[in-house]
Amino acid sequence: MANDRNSFIFRLVITLFVILVINFFLPRMMPGDPFSTTSADMPGEDIIVMTEEQRLYYLEYYGLDRPLHEQFYTYITNLMKGDLGRSIFYRKPVSDVIILHLPWTMFIVLGSTLISTIAGVVLGTFSAKNRKKGSDRMMMTGMIAFAEIPSFLLGLVLLLVFSVHLRLFPLAGAITPFAHYSGLAEHVWDILHHAFLPVLTLTLAQLTGVYLLTRNSLITVTTKDYIRTARSKGLGERTVWTRHALRNALLPVVTRTGFMIGIMMGGVVLVESVFSYPGIGMTLRSAVIGRDYPLIQGILLVIAVSILICNLLVDKIYSKLDPRVSI
Amino acid sequence: MIKNINVPGYAGITSYIQALNICRVSTNLSTTFSKFSTEGKIGVLGILCIVLMAAFAPVITHYSPQKITGDSLEAPGPAHILGTDELGMDIWSQICYGARMSLTIGLAVAFISGFGGGAIGVLAGYIGGHVDQGLMRIIDVTMSLPSFPLMIVISAFLGPSILNVIFILVLFSWAKPARIARSQALAIKKNSYITAARNYGARPFYILRKHIFPEILPVLFVLVIDISSHAIIAEAGLAFLGLGDPTSKSWGMMLNNATGFRSIYFTPYWQWWLLPPLFMLIVLLLCLAFISRDMERILDPKLKIKKGF
Repeated sequence: MANDRNSFIFRLVITLFVILVINFFLPRMMPGDPFSTTSADMPGEDIIVMTEEQRLYYLEYYGLDRPLHEQFYTYITNLMKGDLGRSIFYRKPVSDVIILHLPWTMFIVLGSTLISTIAGVVLGTFSAKNRKKGSDRMMMTGMIAFAEIPSFLLGLVLLLVFSVHLRLFPLAGAITPFAHYSGLAEHVWDILHHAFLPVLTLTLAQLTGVYLLTRNSLITVTTKDYIRTARSKGLGERTVWTRHALRNALLPVVTRTGFMIGIMMGGVVLVESVFSYPGIGMTLRSAVIGRDYPLIQGILLVIAVSILICNLLVDKIYSKLDPRVSI
Repeated sequence: MIKNINVPGYAGITSYIQALNICRVSTNLSTTFSKFSTEGKIGVLGILCIVLMAAFAPVITHYSPQKITGDSLEAPGPAHILGTDELGMDIWSQICYGARMSLTIGLAVAFISGFGGGAIGVLAGYIGGHVDQGLMRIIDVTMSLPSFPLMIVISAFLGPSILNVIFILVLFSWAKPARIARSQALAIKKNSYITAARNYGARPFYILRKHIFPEILPVLFVLVIDISSHAIIAEAGLAFLGLGDPTSKSWGMMLNNATGFRSIYFTPYWQWWLLPPLFMLIVLLLCLAFISRDMERILDPKLKIKKGF
């Protein structure tokens, strides 16, 4: 087991390293150098042409004339100091831009993870209890069909139905611009009102996974001997289900929740774009459109690191929940 | 030896043989088809419709999808069945030609990564040793990379083109078939008939081709369907973010154009500009999902064990 855990940590480290290497080499493998991007492509605009002297000065200033391994070393040490470079579009440090937008993403990702986990467990338990009845089968079919629609298409459908057609929810943003709130309650309401559809989209996108996992693992657990023992001890159905069956069936759900956050970080880029929600996903989209490379790289790094942290956390929580793992 | 097929006497025979062959193929197909559930049949019919739409796009549309053939943002009417976009291009043509894009990318990625990855996996599993260990490490890392964010970044740097999109998607989808093919090759390798074949002097390549690959093929086919639907989603997602090939109108690109239009939600334009590509994408993905689930069910006894990871 110890070996297994070591290889798990080792894999995380390797993954992080691969991402860093991709991040470092991609821009350097592109033809041309960063200074040629300062030219404008609109005919009316000024094209900044640097003299050879200036170019060399900047090359030296940014350390681009040194060998690659030294550059890589500087890149890593800068990262350690939290220096992700400067955004071309925002004209401020990339880390500042990310810190500004990250809370919104965290808000909808964690919110929808929480809701979908609870709802999935409840629905899965209901389904497992009514196994082979009509309600279970209907739920299964519906849920599975739902799962096949990718989150951003689902988001577009929800946006069209609830915001455009029914006008129940705002079309874009996370708060009403220039709003004056009379109290905290109104402020919170405004944020929740804006977050509702993005959170709903992400929730629906991952609900099926939790639901199916809970259902299947409950069905497996309920055939075990200790459930029969619990029943024969005279425990009520309720106690058997919650304390004996669910407790054991939920272990895989915990793992899945952690990994889901990772998968969702990919989907959230698209979902935020659909709802123009000002998280890092939306920022990534505008950075891509504006070809703001330092920002793109910074956001990728933040996403990757947060996924790895989630995996690590899951590993920790799992060994707490299931003592057998940490032996 | 039949040398002169064009001689009248032979022609009858050859046509008879051809008819027989076609008959066998069609009965084969119909028996597979009858194993499908209702959902699966709907899926097959749906895919068939979309494939026909893509294949006969020039026949069923009047306009080129790239040419301005009407006023800007015309509502659906007799001239333009689904109206036009902001540049005055026919939406129905864009939908039909867009089907080509989605299907091409889905199939290309699925076949390259499904069979390529499968072949790599089988080889590694069969050879074993350091090659196998090394490949497993690479697969592990590939599978734990955050694929969609990385795809965005790489395609932002590589620039938008169909080949780049296919390349990037293959890069992130070969690992799963490779892993499954490898584990299967490992399991099959231990069978005594393989040892027997080897003792008879069969070359490794012969064993791979005759005994191992055919065993793995059905599972790879299911995977190919899965991968193609993932590839279609990813392509649509990249195009939606503005990272698709701007010269080709895929459905994701149409979504990007429509949602990029400033006041799309405040005007009725979304009804004929945004809805059709959205609807078609969802239909295509649902059909693929139905087929893949049915195939999985049909192959179940084998798949349940082998897909369990």
